[in-house]
Amino acid sequence: MRRTRRGSGRAGSPGDTVIGSVSVCALCCGLWLLVGGAATHAPPQPSAAQAHSASAEDGAGRGSGRPPGRAFALPPSPPDRIRIPAIGVDAPLTGLGLTGTGSLDVPPPGRANLAGWYEAGTTPGETGTAIVAGHVDNAEGPAVFYSLGALRKGGTVEVDRRDGTVAVFTVHAVEVYDARDFPDGKVYGAAGRPELRIITCGGDYSRTTGYRGNVVVYAHLTGSR
Amino acid sequence: MRDTARRPSGPARLTGPALAAAAAGLLVAAAAPAVYAEESAAPAGPLHGATAGKPAGSLELHPDMVVAGAQVTVNTAACGDDDTVAGDATAVGAGRFTLAPGSDEPDSTGRFRVPPGAQPGTYEIVATCDAGGQRVTGDLVVRLTPAAQQMYPRGSVKTGVGGALGPDPVQTAAGVTALAVAAAGGTWLLHRRARGDGI
Repeated sequence: MRRTRRGSGRAGSPGDTVIGSVSVCALCCGLWLLVGGAATHAPPQPSAAQAHSASAEDGAGRGSGRPPGRAFALPPSPPDRIRIPAIGVDAPLTGLGLTGTGSLDVPPPGRANLAGWYEAGTTPGETGTAIVAGHVDNAEGPAVFYSLGALRKGGTVEVDRRDGTVAVFTVHAVEVYDARDFPDGKVYGAAGRPELRIITCGGDYSRTTGYRGNVVVYAHLTGSR
Repeated sequence: MRDTARRPSGPARLTGPALAAAAAGLLVAAAAPAVYAEESAAPAGPLHGATAGKPAGSLELHPDMVVAGAQVTVNTAACGDDDTVAGDATAVGAGRFTLAPGSDEPDSTGRFRVPPGAQPGTYEIVATCDAGGQRVTGDLVVRLTPAAQQMYPRGSVKTGVGGALGPDPVQTAAGVTALAVAAAGGTWLLHRRARGDGI
């Protein structure tokens, strides 16, 4: 009797096998999810290979030469939208001013998919340095420029302008700077050709002071349509 | 029109023909008012605007962001092919000007100079078709300083609070649920085995 029951219990109840398999599977999945979910999700940071190279491309930023691929400057027109296909960015742009200390203001953090441009400066596409900034994250999680540090040289940035044209920029450097040693002139300074800077938070993170620096993407106009 | 917008030197190059066209337009308008009056009876004006592929109500300014003292080129396709357009830039203190049809395009083109003493702000520039009577407007932004002397931001930008760094709540919840399922299944199996052994 006992033997029979046991035999049938082992071989004849596929339900137990299923439940056993599901339980083991759920245990593994649960542990994997918890370990993964608790891990930090630090935004990607640019490698040294993405920094400015000592090629002609770099010097061209100061208007010294006329490198290949340089496009004619566009007339001024405010930007409406920025797209960076390589990192899945497609966001509207709001106007930004300066804070009381002279630093660039930031878009309202509540809207994760919103970037801003420095309204009192150069418009993207005209000669000079246009500046775009956006959050890497907000209190809820990743924001519009979370993946900015993963952008690489040669990547494309498109800016929709109010006059109907699309300014197409090509990335020539991605760098990360400590906030205490921020190269104002290099990032914000005038340029002899149409250039674009895209700025977000980056570098090390400290619980007390937050991100310690900024990721800066350097791009220049290479076309329009 | 697009061409003008894309070539910074466009307006300068256009000066000769545009002036000639403007003069011709004025002469024609003065000499033959009756003809224009007749044309205005027909809905020619708005139709021309529509066929040009642009909203009939737009007045385009190039550039539309300037500093005091700069010259602005004004385009509109709102009026008829041969219609002369009266421009009004008195809002910014530049007085009135005339837009004349271009020699080979349907748009009317005119220019005015922003007075050196203009204050920064947004000003409405108005154009009215002489014959059709349509009124179109465009906004001109006067900035304090040219791009070369503008204020540059300083220092780093506060664009993150670390919200992406903590545990992902959705993933954590999914993990807890999965563990609960595993616990329930395990308990059930243990219970079965205990009962089976007991019999």
